[in-house]
Amino acid sequence: MITLIKEESFKLLHKRSTPAITIILLVLMTAFGVLAKSYPKFYSPRTLFVQSFTGDSWVVLFMIAACSSIIAMEFQYGTIKEVLYRKYYRGQILVSKWLTMLIYSIYLFALVFVYSLILKFVLFNNTFDLGRKYGAEHSVFTSFSYTLIGDFVGLWLILSLVLLLANIFKSSAAAISVGIIGYFALGVIAGLMTLAIQKWNWLKWNPLNMMNLSGQMNTPSMSKVTMLSTPELAWGSLAYTAIFLAISYVVFKRRSV
Amino acid sequence: MADTDTILQVEHLNKSFGSKKVLQDVSFTVQRGHIVGLVGPNGAGKSTIMKAILGLFNYSSGHISIDGEAVSPTSHKAMDKVGALIEYPGIYPFLTGYQHLKLFSKDGTPKAQIMDIVDKMKMGGYINRKAKTYSLGMKQKLGIALALVNRPDLVILDEPMNGLDPQANKDLRTIILDLAKQGTTFLISSHILSELEKLVDDLVVIDKGQIVYQESMAALENGSAKLLILKTSNDSKAKDILTQNGYELSQSDQVAVVEKADTKMPDIIKLLSASDIDIDDVQHVHSDLETSLLKLLQNDKVKES
Repeated sequence: MITLIKEESFKLLHKRSTPAITIILLVLMTAFGVLAKSYPKFYSPRTLFVQSFTGDSWVVLFMIAACSSIIAMEFQYGTIKEVLYRKYYRGQILVSKWLTMLIYSIYLFALVFVYSLILKFVLFNNTFDLGRKYGAEHSVFTSFSYTLIGDFVGLWLILSLVLLLANIFKSSAAAISVGIIGYFALGVIAGLMTLAIQKWNWLKWNPLNMMNLSGQMNTPSMSKVTMLSTPELAWGSLAYTAIFLAISYVVFKRRSV
Repeated sequence: MADTDTILQVEHLNKSFGSKKVLQDVSFTVQRGHIVGLVGPNGAGKSTIMKAILGLFNYSSGHISIDGEAVSPTSHKAMDKVGALIEYPGIYPFLTGYQHLKLFSKDGTPKAQIMDIVDKMKMGGYINRKAKTYSLGMKQKLGIALALVNRPDLVILDEPMNGLDPQANKDLRTIILDLAKQGTTFLISSHILSELEKLVDDLVVIDKGQIVYQESMAALENGSAKLLILKTSNDSKAKDILTQNGYELSQSDQVAVVEKADTKMPDIIKLLSASDIDIDDVQHVHSDLETSLLKLLQNDKVKES
């Protein structure tokens, strides 16, 4: 399995987009940091820090693209045959791809975490204090950490769906579209969903509602809207992730290539 | 359990796409160290068989074993001994040729072993270039190198001559024959029968998903007639004389004598000269793989299902 993860990482690292993404991510975060420094009235430095200078939102987009391509490229390039006709079990090959993506997403989140702190100390050392209260419950630093953790769990809920779609359609375009649309759809239909949940209680278990996890971790009163407790949201997200990955596994094992 | 000389055994393989049967009761064996040609018309099921052997395809029923170990999409252990190129080479455009070989070679493969196949395939000039700059032939060579880099016991090549220039074609033939001498087994499909003819020991012919012929090349050659074709000043008279003297003639407009062990050219010339028939030209015609194969496929009794 370690050999397979090494192979997947080798492929990932040799794609030109991989180093580019790290650089783009840092540039974008720096740009938002500088904006907040220059126009603190429009961009509150504290709020931007809690949102990791928009870093974690970009990571979602980059990871959606990476996950769809790690599966779909093998079909697109015809390399799936070479990848599969070896001594390894199919399941191992798929799981090695997931683990590579998990490592990649942890790397990107760690990068966002560390670089947000660097930006905070370089640009806003005296502007705000990490220990000060932010919002209703937690300190700035805790809110920042909770947002990242919540977003990470939410990210993997989306990624498990993207991995499944890439597997079914064998095309990254379809998987990327659904992933990104799904991610933004939440904001658009949030209001509608709240109404629907009030009317039909069981709808609170729908996967889009689970995406509110990071919000509710910072603002516990959101549970009045989501109708679920924070642990319920966390377990729900993990359960959906597991379900989508399990379907992927079955699809991949049965596929004739 | 197969005997030790059999490296690949395919038994009663069946496969359908919906109601269309693509493989029907396909059984054949491949002997260790042999080069076996898998031939048949387009859509006969050659690639499907190869994919099934590689554990890429689910099949409805049947059994495949390599070196005595069962192979299926869920059982891949025997694949450690197999190298393959199926349909077209799978190439990552963002990797160089060398990186491909490194990626798909087993852990701890020395650089010398990788460079050995690079040299044999004469790919040294571009092996460190990104594969997106490769021509069709270069990609094909890389695909073949990928199939051979781990020095497998069994090599499965689907149309390996695709896109290769005449020199590369000859190089490939030399490599295959050398490896076979050292004990590597090959299963090769190709439409270029004249190329295949120079390589294979045994032939498996498939048509409409069924095996219609499985024999050694030698048997196929022996089975086909050798002919002496004569051009004479008076063909009809020549035919009469030859028939009267006990020669067997092939059904043809030309004077075509079926060659037998005791057929001697001087006897025929003397016989015809004695009757005042001039011989303008003589040709030995030996039916090649193409002719034999086309005849075989024409005569076969496989019905479309």
